Amino acid sequence: MVEVPMTGTVRRSLLARLFVETRSVMPAAGSTGLSLVLVIATMCFLASLTLGAVLAVNHATQSWTRQLSGALTVEILAVEGQDPEMQRDAALTALSKTPGILTAKTLSRDDVAALIQPWLGVDVAREDLPFPQLIDVRLDTSAPPPDLDALAAALEKSAPGVRLDSHRQWLDDINGAANAAQGLSYAILAIITLTTIAIVTFATRAGLLANHEIVELLHLIGARDNFIASEIQRHFLLLGLRGGVLGLALSLLAFGGMSIVMNSSSLLVSMPTIQPWTLTSLLLVPVMAALVSVITARMTVMRGLGRMM
Amino acid sequence: MIRFENVGLRYESGPEVLRDVTFTLERGSFHFLTGPSGAGKTSLLRLMFLDHKPSRGLITMFDRPIATLARHELPDIRRQIGVVFQDFRLIAHLTAYENVALPLRARGKSEDSYRADVIELLQWVGMGERLDALPSTLSGGEKQRVAIARAVMGRPRLLIADEPTGNVDAEMGNRLLHLFVELNRLGTSILIATHDRELIASNPAPALVLHKGEVEIHG
Repeated sequence: MVEVPMTGTVRRSLLARLFVETRSVMPAAGSTGLSLVLVIATMCFLASLTLGAVLAVNHATQSWTRQLSGALTVEILAVEGQDPEMQRDAALTALSKTPGILTAKTLSRDDVAALIQPWLGVDVAREDLPFPQLIDVRLDTSAPPPDLDALAAALEKSAPGVRLDSHRQWLDDINGAANAAQGLSYAILAIITLTTIAIVTFATRAGLLANHEIVELLHLIGARDNFIASEIQRHFLLLGLRGGVLGLALSLLAFGGMSIVMNSSSLLVSMPTIQPWTLTSLLLVPVMAALVSVITARMTVMRGLGRMM
Repeated sequence: MIRFENVGLRYESGPEVLRDVTFTLERGSFHFLTGPSGAGKTSLLRLMFLDHKPSRGLITMFDRPIATLARHELPDIRRQIGVVFQDFRLIAHLTAYENVALPLRARGKSEDSYRADVIELLQWVGMGERLDALPSTLSGGEKQRVAIARAVMGRPRLLIADEPTGNVDAEMGNRLLHLFVELNRLGTSILIATHDRELIASNPAPALVLHKGEVEIHG
């Protein structure tokens, strides 16, 4: 009775076994296999980071816009001969008649003093300083927005010294900056994506060319083109997926680190929590890298076989 | 079984390396192919294992004219030809067992169906103890025997060996020759390309002698 061997029990490096071994006719632990995994991992890391940055910028701009567009401020200036309380009540009455307003809250003198404190210092809360009264208005974002021009006119008409700050100027500036940031981040994402595709394509082609003699040998021992192509494709699919998953894992770690740093500081941009659809987008990165590698490998090997007899 | 009629070969626009080559290899025959370096032995072998098309002439393999076959029919012809390459062409990251099993794997067979046959064949060539060895750990003679085992694994009707004793000592050369003779007795046609006159003398058989691209049959 012949003892059946455990084939392929040759010692291979741990790194190669973890990230490269594919049991393929293509060399698994060779320099091209590991290089391809590392190249794909690096490019997927960069692509995932860029995608994450795009999502963070989108999240931040939506957050700024939502916060600003969902709030209004009514400013009531002290006017000689006018009772401040009557001015405030008249403004609140005008607000209550306007649809689409969720809440209207008069800020206390302490709240107003806290707002002014960065400009005028800690001693501003003196009784003799004529502070304007402020009403913080929150809009119902689920309802149609109110006609701000009509509301401004109604407030001015309600009492002298009452005026509406719709933050429109500030909102326009923020929107402009946000749109520019978004455009830039999408442009960077497009460049990184194209670069990733190009590098994965070249790396796959180089890996295949370096092992051209294996394709030739299979051809000469009677393997059909489809068998050779499927062996090569499986090899590059596994290499691509391993590299992609490695890159994605590194980028998720980077996101975690950035999230801690950015959310604990007072930076303008905070990292969004990863939503299911965000994770889906990120998971597509290694899948795309593997697909590019597989398609390139198939096209290259079929073209090479087509030149053989 | 195999017939070359007025076959000529030139690479691209270069000179003709084979001219009017005509010969027939009968079923179960044993031939040597010899001639000086540059005479065209490798080119002739490439035509025989369907690595290259002739520039002119007619090649018939196993009674089928190659020129009339569609490309997808050629693998079936190649599977009837076993080749022992001069440089072995063993896949470096596959074990001896995996290298020998390659022709059957390429035919889509499952490992369960061929495992015992591969082991038996490796034992027949004296490599039963080195099943798991990588080519880089094998000596020249061991590589040659693994290459021979791979070439005969698919039970070819024709075995072509290019300088099979070129990398081994005389004793190993004789052992390899005995392997070929035994295979020939089992019905496989054998064509051995060699410079080794002692090898040719030790087993009298017809020889195709190539000289300046033309072939003569001796013996």
